[in-house]
Amino acid sequence: MSKINEKEKLGISDYFNLYRKLKNKPNNGKYEKLKIAILSSFTANGIKEVLFVKCNKLGINCDFYVGNYNQHSQEVLDKNSGLHKFKPDLTILFIDARSIFGNKYLLPYGMDDKSRKTFAEEKLQEINSLVEKLKLNSKAKILLHNFEVPAFSPLGILENKQKFGFVESVEALNSELRAAFKNDEQVFVFDYDAFCSKIGKNNAIDYKMYYLGDMKLNLQFIPELCEEYLGYVKPLASITRKCIVLDLDNTLWGGITGEDGLGGIKLGPTPEGRPFMEFQQYLLSLFNRGVILAINSKNNYDDAIEVFRKHPHMALKEDNFAAMQINWNDKIANMKVIAEELNIGIGSFVFIDDDKANRQMIREAFPEINVVEMPEDPSLYLKTLIDLNDFNAFQITEEDGKRGHMYVQQRKRTEAQKSSTNLAGFLKSLNMVVTAERANKFSIPRISQLTQKTNQFNMTTRRYMEDAIKKFSEDKNFLVFSVKVEDKFGDNGITGAAIVKKGKDAWSIDAFLLSCRIIGRKVEETLLAYIAREAKKAGAKKITADFIPTNKNSVAKGFYKSSGFNIVKKENEKEVWEYDPEKNYKFPDFIKFMEK
Amino acid sequence: MKELKKIVVKVLNIDEIEVNDTLTMENAKQWDSFNHLLLISEIEKEMSITFSIQEVEKIKSFKDLREIVLDKGR
Repeated sequence: MSKINEKEKLGISDYFNLYRKLKNKPNNGKYEKLKIAILSSFTANGIKEVLFVKCNKLGINCDFYVGNYNQHSQEVLDKNSGLHKFKPDLTILFIDARSIFGNKYLLPYGMDDKSRKTFAEEKLQEINSLVEKLKLNSKAKILLHNFEVPAFSPLGILENKQKFGFVESVEALNSELRAAFKNDEQVFVFDYDAFCSKIGKNNAIDYKMYYLGDMKLNLQFIPELCEEYLGYVKPLASITRKCIVLDLDNTLWGGITGEDGLGGIKLGPTPEGRPFMEFQQYLLSLFNRGVILAINSKNNYDDAIEVFRKHPHMALKEDNFAAMQINWNDKIANMKVIAEELNIGIGSFVFIDDDKANRQMIREAFPEINVVEMPEDPSLYLKTLIDLNDFNAFQITEEDGKRGHMYVQQRKRTEAQKSSTNLAGFLKSLNMVVTAERANKFSIPRISQLTQKTNQFNMTTRRYMEDAIKKFSEDKNFLVFSVKVEDKFGDNGITGAAIVKKGKDAWSIDAFLLSCRIIGRKVEETLLAYIAREAKKAGAKKITADFIPTNKNSVAKGFYKSSGFNIVKKENEKEVWEYDPEKNYKFPDFIKFMEK
Repeated sequence: MKELKKIVVKVLNIDEIEVNDTLTMENAKQWDSFNHLLLISEIEKEMSITFSIQEVEKIKSFKDLREIVLDKGR
């Protein structure tokens, strides 16, 4: 593998050159090929090339379809258009304000207030109906640009005194678009106005290039635009990071705690301390939306912990970290321990460290980790963090939002377990409450997600989409339920589920699984006891259950045997087990069971 | 002039030896109308100069480009 170094900033023509080099290379990405369509109301050269290169660097292979110049409506409306034949996974719809307003863009006050309002409403209608048509013929996620709010007005300082002003009409379009697609799972409004503000509206357009080649966005900013698009491409390619691993000295605070001491480090409302304080505040914000935090630091544990416990300006506390490796081991070894403790894939990590050598070490040892290139100047830490677009998902379940908290609780459980002398005593001390609930519209997405993601304690590893789970749950012949697990450390959320076919004589377990977070706490016995009790109540004579071994579910292998099931046959790898409900499967006595 | 050549090499994806006064939009296949604008945009950015629309339209060869850049004192 070629040596991976800190990436240098590439200019637009570097991207064109890389595109030429890479486009004919054989497909070597680990993800499926992603099909991206770009429809725009003007010359959008460069987007395809830059996005291709950026995706390639992430291991994503892309195919592109670029609509003809200003033909977006025809492409959408014609069922046989190149767009629909292409069958994109993502369609970018980039219509700019000048195209929408036409010659009214510079003559907005050629109309009266009322006509301006009608005009804006008509335009909104046009866009909405175009998007609806697109949805009818395509399953692609749609990235719909909103419009750059003009930073000028022919009325000058009186612009904001109008009944329905020009600037207001563009703002209204934007806010109506946001409202129209707020609850739409397919359409995502891309805030192009915010993007233009970010790069500066004066820079967004290069007038000469606009007059010469109808370019509505300065070519030099196409890489920035494509970086924003990546926020949508990554979750589409299932690249979603879950955990930020942080260094301490000169990362979470300025200076070295072992040398400068608690009072000497820079952190707090001073020019030197504020960058670190705000960096921490934003990390806390990410934690609150479900990002897991961990520490990998070469330090004296006691010195570091003292900062967390005693420094008045630490926004982050021990309670925000799911794993803390603070010692004199090397960073690679610590990284391995963190990955093991959290039990998430190495590709889920983002690594933040002020030290270049440490970054290079981690980058070489774990190419899958996103090692963030931290600026030399701490005052740019916050911006670097804000610019990360690694944690996006098109949909988040309630459990995703609580993930950061849940992993911290898990660390505390593990610590409690280490300090207690026997397992039974530990489990008892947890005061667990397990609540079973029939599948409903709130839990169906999570149940589906569990069938998709659970590999370890999963008896059959059958994957189901939301639609399938919904179908089962509406079928009288099926029992579909989830379990929520709470204990004295907190709420684990929905962490287990089962799908059972209720035959007249025999109930058969189609899916039975537990999230890795709660393996080893006898929750599985509670689940099985519940199924056995329900089966008995219904008069079933037996319960049958499959165990299908995979290379990841060995932890579940002996479960039916130790639960008093008898094996009745073995088909290839699949084992079929049977149980007589009359045997009254016992609920573990230290778990309080509830039904909702 | 070295800087200018470097930009032309990069944008048109050709060898440095090809960048001489015989190079024209006619005979360089990569030098299409889009790359022409890209070339201008990159020169403006890298060399901190600006071209007028007339100049952009007048440039048809490396010789034209070289002379106009020279005129601008670079």
